[in-house]
This record gives sequence, structure tokens and C-alpha cells, in this order.
Amino acid sequence: MEMRHDNVGEVRRVVLTGRLDTAGVDVVETRFGAAIVPNGKDTIVDLSEVTFLASMGIRMLIATTRALSRKGGKLVMYGAGPGVMDVIETTALTEIIPLAGSESEALGLVG
Amino acid sequence: MLGATVDEAQTQIMTFARNANFTLEDRAHCLELLDGHGQGQRYIVGMAGANIGRTPPADIVLADSEVSRAHCRLTLENGVLMVTDLNSTNGTFVDGVRILAPTAVPVGAILRIGRQSLKHEWRTHREILQSNEFDREIGKARSYVEALLPPLLTDGPVKTDWLFEPCSKLGGDAFGYGALSGTQFLIYMMDVSGHGAGAALHSVAVMNLLRQRALPGADMADPAQVLAALNHMFPMDDHAGMYFTLWYGVYDTASRRLRYASAGHHPAFLVPEDRSQALGLRTRCGLIGADPGTRYTAAMADIPPGASLYLFSDGVFEFVTADGVEWGLNDLVPYLQMPRLPEMTESRRLFRDVRKYAQPGGLDDDFTLLVLTFD
Repeated sequence: MEMRHDNVGEVRRVVLTGRLDTAGVDVVETRFGAAIVPNGKDTIVDLSEVTFLASMGIRMLIATTRALSRKGGKLVMYGAGPGVMDVIETTALTEIIPLAGSESEALGLVG
Repeated sequence: MLGATVDEAQTQIMTFARNANFTLEDRAHCLELLDGHGQGQRYIVGMAGANIGRTPPADIVLADSEVSRAHCRLTLENGVLMVTDLNSTNGTFVDGVRILAPTAVPVGAILRIGRQSLKHEWRTHREILQSNEFDREIGKARSYVEALLPPLLTDGPVKTDWLFEPCSKLGGDAFGYGALSGTQFLIYMMDVSGHGAGAALHSVAVMNLLRQRALPGADMADPAQVLAALNHMFPMDDHAGMYFTLWYGVYDTASRRLRYASAGHHPAFLVPEDRSQALGLRTRCGLIGADPGTRYTAAMADIPPGASLYLFSDGVFEFVTADGVEWGLNDLVPYLQMPRLPEMTESRRLFRDVRKYAQPGGLDDDFTLLVLTFD
């Protein structure tokens, strides 16, 4: 599991790569939270390179979204592939975290 | 585990380092059994080596009809663990490849003997003892969950068959069923996020509530109300960040109607007696504990005579195949429609049919499957 982040204007962009399962979360969770929560910026998370999303990955996304929300920021996911999309749909995750089809759409949702 | 409560086998360490005088910080070659009844058992292989076979005098005895009496020999050569097949009937495999000559078993490799998989680890004795203690705690949590699982129903309007095969880390799956009142019959399946004793104990807390057939402010016959009540009682912020998925239904034996709701859980599947379809039953509602504002809705299904309802956790279909392909729910559904086998329970048939695609070794997640068949 890998993670990189940068800024698109005033918006934080985080790209996750690999399997977001228990082992993957162990690797990125601290960095993921540290890159997003402290500055309270609106954030878009690119899931296009995530090949598998397990319950611990969902937990990480929800916990970070809620922590960011308490700082006044908003988190939007985008780019989910078919397998990850199935999990997002099954868990109704979009009831908690908005999902966009593309980066530009995600930027529109946080803007 | 199949339809009965068993006393959890204690994890054991067996050592063949007969002439070793080690300290806790010394490293040892260790083989951990990944599946089968002795799952979690560890064998330390010392300088004297060890023979593996089905019966004594083998040093490591694997009670498996596909293991030969004297199957293979483990030795240490210049610090490298080597395995030599002893002309066994079914062969010895290292990472899926049958060995034809003495072969090195790298650290992390899977040694396959008969139906048993053993993982090679290179660990300090302290680490092994700590793992052993951890496994004992997991074993206790597993026993607790198993003690709460319901007995099989072989008579009456609803018959049941289930299989609960926890992974070595214990995955937080649980399920239950039974009479609610009069003609009403309650059914549920849940899966707590994450693994370990914490997830298992979270599932136990929910099971104990549902076993009492009472939730504050909820009609237990109304699935939407039950899910809403649980969402109110188990916010993830108050429960170590854990949420859970739940499928909950109430079947009325008089009207033959099933009222159900699901929270972040994949569908249960209704298969008619002629196996002509697998109808997914699900309502699109959020995870229990993730958001206090979640609204829950229920739906209804008519149950034809002879139909079966399949409920399962995601560990049944989320795994990587031996070819490195991610399996998924759509891969599983056709197997639900396949004919029943007279010599095997449905849960055992599906375990066999599905797990043949998985990579050798233990389960990554609990395999929990419940089949209800309606008169």
C-alpha cells in the first residue's frame, strides 16, 4: 500500500495505491490522517489505483472524514474502479462520504 | 466448526531442538499450521531436524489421510531449512510446486503436505511465546462466539445448516436465528470491521442483545427499527472505532413472508427448490455505528415452499485465487444455484466449491455461511 499527496489550489489531494485491507491500512493510516486532518483543508482522495477495499479501509476513510469534518473540512472520494465500487455500493458508504467519478467532479463537490 | 460447539484446542509449541540450549532472543525455524483442526499449532525445527508423517514415530504427526506415514524430512543445512520427500504418495509442495529433490524452504514459504499447509517462520523464542499467548486469547474469544451460535434445526418449518470457520486472527462474524413469537422466526448475520478479540467481543455484545429478543424502543419484528436501535446503541466513536454490517430478517411461518433489512451488508440470496434463480435480498442502508443519522428501511419477500435462504459473510467470497485474481460476490452466486448433494450439507458443499479456488494456506477472513430451508 502506498500513498502520496499534494495540493490542487486550496484543496488537498491524496492518492492511494494498492490493497486497502488490514495490512494496507497498517501501512498508511497514520500518514493518511496526518496528511489530511491537521490543516483542516478540503480533501479529495483518488481511489483509482486501489485494487481492494476491505472493512478496515472503510473504517479509515470514515474516521478521517469525520475528524476532518470536525475541523470544518470536507472529504470526497473519486475514481473508484469496479471492484472498489461494488464495496462502496454494498456498504452504502456514499451516505457518509461523497463519491465523484472524476477529479474535476470531486473538486467541484468540495468547492 | 460445523454446527456444534467444540472446546478450543490450545495452541501448542512442539520443539525438535533436542540439543539446543537457547535463550529467548535466539531465533528458530518454526512451522505454523495454517489450517485444519490443529490450526495455529507451531513446530520448532532444530539441528536434529524432524520427520513429518501421518503416524508416530514421525516427529510432526499430521492426522490427514492424504499424508503418508513417513511423508517428508526437514533438515537444517547451513542455517537453511530443507525438505526432502520420503517417496510420499501425494507429494510435498513448496509454494505450490511439487518437489523432486531436497529443496530449500525459504522464510515465509508455504509447505503443503496432504491437505495441510505450514508456513515457515524465522522468529525468536520470545516472539513465538508471545504469539502463542496471543493465540490463546484469540482462542478464548473464538470459543465465546461459538458458544453463542445456535444449534442446528432439523425439524420444524425452518431447517438450518451452517458452517463457521474463523480465520486465525478471528474476524468478528456472528449469526443467530430462532423463534421470536408465535409464528415469527428471527434470522441475522453480522460482521464487525477488523479482526481479533476486540472485533469478536463486539459481535458477542450484539449477539447477547439479540438473544434476549429485546432492544430499547424497537419492535423486534420490525427489521428497520432493530437496525436503527443498534445504530443508536453502538456508535463507532464509543466502541474503539468499530462498526458492523448486519442482515436481519423476520419470517412469518403463517403468511410465508420474510421481512428484512440490511445495513452495509451484501444481499442474502433466496434460491427456489428448482434452483432456477438466486434472488438477492437487500436494502441499501448504511453501516451500523458509522453515522447516527442513518435511516433504515425494510423490504418484504414471499418464500416459496422448499426455497433456501443463503446468508454469509464477505469472507466467503472476498479472497485472492491461486492465479492472483480477486474473487467477488458475482463469482459466488452461480454456486448457490448448483444442485444440492445428498452426501454433503449445503454449507460444506459451498466451502468445498469455493475454497478450491483460494491460494493454499489458511483463511484471510472468517468463512461464515448459514443456509435456511423453508418447508
